[in-house]
Amino acid sequence: MKKLLSILLAILMVFTLAACGNGGNGGEEPAEEGKVLNLWTWNDEFWGFLCDYYADEVIDEFTATKGDVTIKRTTYISDNMAYQDALDAALLAQADAPADEKVDMFLAEADYIIKYTNSDATMDVTSIGVTDFSNTYKYTVEAASDANGVVKGVSFQCCPSALIYRRSIAKEVLGTDDPAEVQAALDSWEKFDEVAAIAKEKGYYMVPTPLETYRTFSNNTTSGWVVDGKLNIDPAIQNWMDQAEKYMAEGYAPFAAGIWDAEKNDQMFADGKTMCFFGPAWYFNFCMGNAQDPERGCYGDWAICQGPQAHFWGGTWMLAATGTDNPTMVADIMNTFINDEEVCSKLVSEKAQFSNNQAVNNKFAADESYGNDFLGGQNDTAVFAELAKYIKFQNVTPYDQGCNEGIQNAYREFLNGTVTKEEALANFKDSIKTTYPGITVE
Amino acid sequence: MEKMKKLSKTKSISYAKWGYIFIIPFFVVYLIFTLYPQLLTIYNSFFEYYRDGLNVIGPNFVGLRNYKELFTINNAGYVPIVKYSLNTLILWIIGAVPQFLIAMLLALFFTSTRLNIKGQQFFKTVIYMPNLIMASAFSMLFFALFSQVGPINQLLQSWGAVNEPINFLGMTISVRGLIGLMNFLMWFGNTTILLMAGIQGIDESMFESARLDGSNSTQVFFNITMPLLMPIFIYVFITSMIGGIQMFDVPQVLTNGKGTPNLTSTTLIMYLNNFLGVSKNFGMAGAVSVLLFIITAVLSAFVFKTITRK
Repeated sequence: MKKLLSILLAILMVFTLAACGNGGNGGEEPAEEGKVLNLWTWNDEFWGFLCDYYADEVIDEFTATKGDVTIKRTTYISDNMAYQDALDAALLAQADAPADEKVDMFLAEADYIIKYTNSDATMDVTSIGVTDFSNTYKYTVEAASDANGVVKGVSFQCCPSALIYRRSIAKEVLGTDDPAEVQAALDSWEKFDEVAAIAKEKGYYMVPTPLETYRTFSNNTTSGWVVDGKLNIDPAIQNWMDQAEKYMAEGYAPFAAGIWDAEKNDQMFADGKTMCFFGPAWYFNFCMGNAQDPERGCYGDWAICQGPQAHFWGGTWMLAATGTDNPTMVADIMNTFINDEEVCSKLVSEKAQFSNNQAVNNKFAADESYGNDFLGGQNDTAVFAELAKYIKFQNVTPYDQGCNEGIQNAYREFLNGTVTKEEALANFKDSIKTTYPGITVE
Repeated sequence: MEKMKKLSKTKSISYAKWGYIFIIPFFVVYLIFTLYPQLLTIYNSFFEYYRDGLNVIGPNFVGLRNYKELFTINNAGYVPIVKYSLNTLILWIIGAVPQFLIAMLLALFFTSTRLNIKGQQFFKTVIYMPNLIMASAFSMLFFALFSQVGPINQLLQSWGAVNEPINFLGMTISVRGLIGLMNFLMWFGNTTILLMAGIQGIDESMFESARLDGSNSTQVFFNITMPLLMPIFIYVFITSMIGGIQMFDVPQVLTNGKGTPNLTSTTLIMYLNNFLGVSKNFGMAGAVSVLLFIITAVLSAFVFKTITRK
């Protein structure tokens, strides 16, 4: 009976879908370009900007319109590579998909952008009218280019990562909350360790989890995760592992929590005991919700400085999907978010973003009156403009997300004391073997 | 003569034919949705067939290489699939043993004419309730409850029972215990109701005559209830075992797909699922599936043989 019922349901569903498909095509006149622009994302960050600065009307959380074109958002979470998984399936079926269901534009992150730029699934954006990269940061263009230098997309942000600290805690630990003085006290890992010891004496934690500094190290490697088809653990990763082990043993961090875990985010509340976090502009304006909580948060009690080592973290690129039926609008969106001065200015002043337009960023950096209230009025754009000079997009592989997540997950278990270091590494290697069968693991 | 012939033809009409016709839909569905994928899985298990980035590698015939790889000793000195099989077995036992004991006890209580419990409908509904919750939602709830900053730890700390929060989800014993507890809570109601149906199917006069002959409850249970309940019990036991082998949702959600700590809560299906991530490794996943099929078949046959043996 159950089986019969499920067959019936399945048949019904097929019919409903077919009906939808027919309904969608019932436009009045055959237009040159599609009436639906499909945008794929793994969160709603960019969607928010698109709704505020590009769309004419926002219908709901997943739909907006611009002129007579409907923009539809499809979102899968990034965790465990669910987004890549779903996106790959859609891109591989792109050729056979009806025009209105084709992926037109999708977002990709630094960890795996190369997988898409080096494939035929993305197209040369200079051919559809995105040609002016004079104001963008060079690394954002390099990151979106394939091996032959063909540009496949653009980023709406530049992501130098800063040390984000609690002013009140810094005052107690260092006697000052002035960014320049804090920076002077924390400009190398040796000094960082020393301050960590002082913080501990005063009852504070230096970092919310030893995993917090991971990106600082992983972004300063001298080799990629995969070299000649073999898994390779760079000395910089090794250094991070040593530091993490030490910080856990010394009690410089409360838990060996994952960077997105509730345990860690709890430290951002006013009653949190942690002094330092690391992240780019998107981190404190998109991921530090607890700190901005009206009741339990500590809005304004934060500031940023360069920290012990320059690095960047993440960043979202918009890529044009091959086979799009909305090339003009795709190009228009891209141009808007890198070259439209008004929009880029609003990204900085209203959304506290560090935009991908150097002229706009420099204007705010030089503006004495500009400040970010979350950071107690500090001019964050000035700090990021300086940090942006050190960004290097290098040693990237298509496997970085799996490797970066894998090593953190496996090593965390060692930090929590559940496995030995050897077991943690063996577990990591097993996970890579399972996730990426193409990589040789020794 | 002609008439006779006709008559005999009508008389020998085969009703069995209709039986076959009526079961055709099932077999058609079975062939398309079960047998064909099963054969395809076995076929794929002999191929190198996965995705590297957006490029599809294979399918290339590699013989038994996938199986060989499954049984390769890893850097930590063990064979992963053996570890995951044992995990699965342990996780099932932790949940199934209390599940059968409690379910049997409840079934006996509810069916006992001597106890004659009031409000049976209410209790039956309540114990069945956890089964209605989606396993993943249930698991998510436990994940939040037992996190280091979750309510359980807050309670323990405010009572002064512990000073530091307990890392429930970081310790093998508590993670396995929680998975067992969840499976137990979700399934004991279902088992109770099945066993009750079985007990109620036993002729009441059997119990009456046993009691008249002066046997006590224990004797009634072991000499009358249990032997007559056997067919239902075997059914419940084998279904539970197959469910156990296929355990996935509860540990997957509770450990966020990681099978932590130290992979001690990674079940066979979670392992299988890992092969079907971005790499869509149909070869290796096929090999794991075939192995699972063999394990299930052998265990079911074994259990059936042992329990039904006179």
